[in-house]
Amino acid sequence: MDDHVKKVLVIGGGPAGMEAALKIGQAGFGAILVEREPELGGTLKKLVSSFPKWEDPADLISFKAHMLEDNGNVECLTSTTVLSAERSQKGFRVTLRHLKNRGSRELDVDAVILATGFDLMDVSVYGEYGYGIYPNVMSSLEFEERIRGWKEGAEPMPKGVAFFKCVGSRDRSKGFPYCSRICCMYTAKQAGLVKDLFPGTKVYVFYMDYRAAGKGYEEFVRDIIEQKHVRYVRGRPAKVLPENGRLLVRAEDTLMGIPVEVVVDTVVLASAIVPRADTQALTKMFGALTDEYGFIESLPYTPARSGERVFFAGGCGFAVETQGALQQGAAAAAEVIALINKS
Amino acid sequence: MDIAYFPGCSLHAMAHEYDRSARLVCERLGINLVEVEDWNCCGATAGHSLDHELALGLSARNLSIVNRMDRGEVTTPCPGCFSRLKTAVHALVNSESMTRRMEKRLDATLSRLPGVTHLLQLLMEARGLRGLAQPVVKPLTGLRLAVYYGCLLTRPHRIVQFDDPEQPSSMDGLLQALGAETVKWSHKTECCGGSFAASEPGIVIDLGGQVLEAACRAGAEAVVVACPMCQVNLDSRQDEIKKERGRVHNLPVLYFTQLMGLAYGYSPRELGLRRLLVSPISLLEEKGFF
Amino acid sequence: MDTEIFTPLRLDEIDSALQLELKEKLDIDIEACLECGKCSGGCSNGHIFDYTPRKIVQLVKIGDEETLAGMDALWICLSCQLCLDRCPSGIDIPRILDYLREKAVTQGVRASRPDVHLFMELMLEEVRDKGRVSEVPLMIRFKKKTGQYLKDAGLGFRMFLKGKLGFIPSRMQKPEDLKTILSERKSENKG
Repeated sequence: MDDHVKKVLVIGGGPAGMEAALKIGQAGFGAILVEREPELGGTLKKLVSSFPKWEDPADLISFKAHMLEDNGNVECLTSTTVLSAERSQKGFRVTLRHLKNRGSRELDVDAVILATGFDLMDVSVYGEYGYGIYPNVMSSLEFEERIRGWKEGAEPMPKGVAFFKCVGSRDRSKGFPYCSRICCMYTAKQAGLVKDLFPGTKVYVFYMDYRAAGKGYEEFVRDIIEQKHVRYVRGRPAKVLPENGRLLVRAEDTLMGIPVEVVVDTVVLASAIVPRADTQALTKMFGALTDEYGFIESLPYTPARSGERVFFAGGCGFAVETQGALQQGAAAAAEVIALINKS
Repeated sequence: MDIAYFPGCSLHAMAHEYDRSARLVCERLGINLVEVEDWNCCGATAGHSLDHELALGLSARNLSIVNRMDRGEVTTPCPGCFSRLKTAVHALVNSESMTRRMEKRLDATLSRLPGVTHLLQLLMEARGLRGLAQPVVKPLTGLRLAVYYGCLLTRPHRIVQFDDPEQPSSMDGLLQALGAETVKWSHKTECCGGSFAASEPGIVIDLGGQVLEAACRAGAEAVVVACPMCQVNLDSRQDEIKKERGRVHNLPVLYFTQLMGLAYGYSPRELGLRRLLVSPISLLEEKGFF
Repeated sequence: MDTEIFTPLRLDEIDSALQLELKEKLDIDIEACLECGKCSGGCSNGHIFDYTPRKIVQLVKIGDEETLAGMDALWICLSCQLCLDRCPSGIDIPRILDYLREKAVTQGVRASRPDVHLFMELMLEEVRDKGRVSEVPLMIRFKKKTGQYLKDAGLGFRMFLKGKLGFIPSRMQKPEDLKTILSERKSENKG
C-alpha cells in the first residue's frame, strides 16, 4: 500500500468491521482490518441461520470476505490484535501484534473504527436457573452450537425445549436495566429451527413481551407461533428444578394468572448483551467515549463518532442485529471518509 | 474470641438441643458465647406481620443491649432472629428519624450498630473450613446428607448478604470439611412451611413434605438444618406427611451443630440426639459412630 | 356455567391513594413492576393463594383495597422472601403484605384465616407479658381459644416423651423493660 494514501484502522472483522473496511477501500482509501481470530466473521460465524429471511450467515461472510480480498486498498490481518496506540499529529501510531508468530508491526493511521462486537452476560448469577450447575441449561450462543450439532446428527433429539427471554436484561436487581433488543428475534429463530428439525418436539418460549420492530420481523415471529406451533407463555420463569435427569420449569402464565410447570430437556437462556471485555482497553487506548455499561457512546449529532478521529460500529456500541451492523459499518465508513477526504 | 450470643426463644425451649450443641462446638473452637443480657423475643413472624413498629422496637432493644455490653458483633443460631436483627439494622441505618425515635424510646444510642451474623456465618468467617475441621476426631465419613438452608438464612439477599440465595454452599462446605458427603438436590432453599405449624399444619405437611421427598429422591440419609423452625417442621410431621402424601420418609433431621459436635467427639446425650422425633441413632450406629 | 358479571373497571376512576402511601411511607415504587410474573411463578404458597403476588401488585395498581384487605393470601403468605429476592425490580411484596395486613387489622377487617391471626396475636401477648415466647404456654392458650384440644395430641405427647415440652418457660428477668417499645395495639380484634 502506498504510504501517501490515507489509511484507516478497522478493529474487528465481524459484519460491521467488514462493511466499514470494504466501503473505505471502495472509496479509494486504505483500510487495515484487524481481527483477533484466524477467520473473519465475528459472532456471525457461530450462527446457523439468520432472521428474518433464514439466510445462511456463512454466505454473507464469504461474500464480504471475497470482496475485501479483491479490493487492493484493503489489508485483512487475521490472528492479529492491537497492542498499543499513541496519538500523533495526523492520527494514531499503532502497534499491531500477530498472535501466532508473535511478530509486531508499527504503522500510522489517520483514523480508527472500533467494531469489536458484543458478548453475552455470564448468567450464573441466576442460581434459580442453574446455569453452570445443571447440565442442559445454556446460553443462546451455546444453544446455537447445539442446533448445529443436531443438524449434523450429532446430538440426541430433545423431547422438549424451553427458552427464557430477558435473562439479565430488563433487570434492575441482578442484571442490567436495558433491553438487549435482538433476543426476541433470535429466540424466535432458534425456536423455529428446533421445530424444523424436530416437528414433534415441544418448544416453549417464556416471555414478558416480544419485540419485533423491524422490516419483516413481526411476520417472522407470527410465523413461528402460527405455522411452526411454538408455544409462547407469558411469564418470566421463577425457577428450574432438576427432575429425573430432565428439567422442571416453574412460572406463572400471567395472562391466565395461574401457576404453570413444564418438564423439558433443555433450557435456553437469552442472556443480556454486554460489551466485550477487551473493548474496554481499546476505548481507553484510543480515547473513545463509553457509557456506564462500557458500550461505546457517540458524540452529539454524529451517528458513529466517539472521539477525535475515533469511530465505532456494530455490537460494541449496543446490541444490534446483522443488518444493523452492516448499516452502522457503512455509516462509520462514510463519517471517516468525510473526515479524511477533506484534510 | 468473645461474641454476643442471641439464642432466641426456641433455643430456650423446643430447640434446646440446638443451643446445647452450638455451645459445645463453640467452646471447642475457642469461641466464647456471651448471652445478650435479659434479651427479649425478636417478634419472629408475628411481630412484623401485625405491628411493624413493635417488631423494629423489639430488635432495636436487643441491638442496644449488645451496644451496652460493649460488643461489636452479635451472632444468632436462628434465621428468624437473624432476619429480624438484620432488617432492623437496615431500617435504622436508612432512616435517621426512625433511629432517633427508637433511641428516645429505649433511652439508648443506636447511631452505632453491632454487626449481625448467623452462627453458621460466624463459624465460617471466624474459623474457616480449615479451622472448623481441625478439632475433628470422628470424621463424618459415610454419611450422605441433604443440606437444607430454608428461607431466611440467605434471603432476602440484599439484607442478609450471606451465601447465595439460590444455590448456597456454605453449610455443604462445612459438612464436607468434616468428612460427610452432601447430595445435590432441588429443594435447598424451598420453604418448609414456616410459622404455620400450629395454625395451618396442612401447609407444613404440603411444603415440608415436598422438601423431604426431594431429599429422599436425591438419596440422602438425613437432612441437616440451621433453623429451629425448619427442624421442628420437618422432624415432627413425618408420619402425617407419609399418610397424606403416601411416600416413605423416616429421614432424621439434625442441626448442623449436632453433626459438628459428633465429629468433635461429643456424645449423643450431650448433643441431645435422642430428643429428635425421628431418631438418628440407628443411622449413626450403622455408620459406626458409636 | 359461571354467570359472574364484570362491570368494566373505569381506569380514570382508579384511586391511587394506596400506591402513593406505599411510595411515601415505604419507598416502594409499584410502577417499577414489569408484570413479568417471576414472583408468582416461584411463590411457595402461590398454588393455594387466591391472588398470586403479581396479582396483588396489580390490585394495588388498580386501587382495590377492599379485595386486598379481605384476601386469603394476606394470611397464608409465608414471608419466605422468594418473590422479593427474584423480582427484577426489587419490589418488596412481603413488606406490602405486612403493611396491608396491619392496616386491615386496625380497620377491623376479619381475617380470612382466623386461627392464623389468633395464633399471631397470642404470640405477641406472650411477648408483652413475659418478653419471650415458649411453645407450651402459647400452645395451651391457642388450644383453649380454638377449642382444639385433641388436635396434635399425639404429636404433643411424643414431644413430651422426648423431653421437648418439659421446660420452665423462659422469660425475661425484667419484662417491664419492654414497656417503652410496647405501643397500644391499634385494635383489639383477634379474629
